[in-house]
Amino acid sequence: MSEPDDRRLLLEASLGDRGAFERFVQRHEAAVFRLLRSSAADEADAEDALQEAFVAAWKGAGSYRGGASARGWILTIARNALRRSRRRRVGEPSTFEPLEELGLQAGWGRDDTLEGLARRQVLDRAMQMLGEEEREVLVLRELEDLPGEDVAEMLGITVAAMKSRLHRARLRFLAALREVTDE
Amino acid sequence: MSDLDREVAGIRCREVLKLLSSYLDGDLTEAEARRIDDHLRECDRCEHFGGRFSEAVAALRHELSRAAPLDPEVARRLRARLSDV
Ligand SMILES: [Zn+2]
Repeated sequence: MSEPDDRRLLLEASLGDRGAFERFVQRHEAAVFRLLRSSAADEADAEDALQEAFVAAWKGAGSYRGGASARGWILTIARNALRRSRRRRVGEPSTFEPLEELGLQAGWGRDDTLEGLARRQVLDRAMQMLGEEEREVLVLRELEDLPGEDVAEMLGITVAAMKSRLHRARLRFLAALREVTDE
Repeated sequence: MSDLDREVAGIRCREVLKLLSSYLDGDLTEAEARRIDDHLRECDRCEHFGGRFSEAVAALRHELSRAAPLDPEVARRLRARLSDV
């Protein structure tokens, strides 16, 4: 028997089926917590928002229409839950240095190799060095692999602005990676 | 004038730097992509940088795409909260 899809699970949940909702939670909880941890001020805030998000999803399961992916739907709910708590991480202020500057920081013109690419710990540390907006777009677009249109909508920006943010975030990630491995 | 102002195959390095994500994500027109291809063939620095850039993006996608499983205590407290509603 194949796995019921998210839409079906949410439909059953909206009719009061807790078992169906539990399967939905199992499928998405790790991704939701990852996004929240990347934006919350601390672990406790991330956990509060995690709980609020799934409570809201349980109560609002009937509002899922199956247009965008269910992953995007629950991540949006989680993001809003965190926003309401008003305790987002105080990220490094977003600076807008020229792209060339970013390119040089990321190693343009350097004739070397990158170390540590296969080490999760190194990649995680580089991610932690980014500003919140950059980390968020990388989580949604690269790690969750959500469609660009969905990500733009979640962030409340145009697709073009999302792509430009993603490009800067990738450059900054590469710069951070070099900083981590040059130490 | 910086090194990035160097023009190779009709396009400057700084322009290539700007378009790198669009190039990798397949968002460019065929003609634009071909101009970048030509540049990369003749410009060692952009070719090298483009390689590191796409390696870093690929590593991010492959190594981190699976979120770590939830801490069992966090998972337990989530269930406890959900059973209250
Ligand atoms: Zn070049």
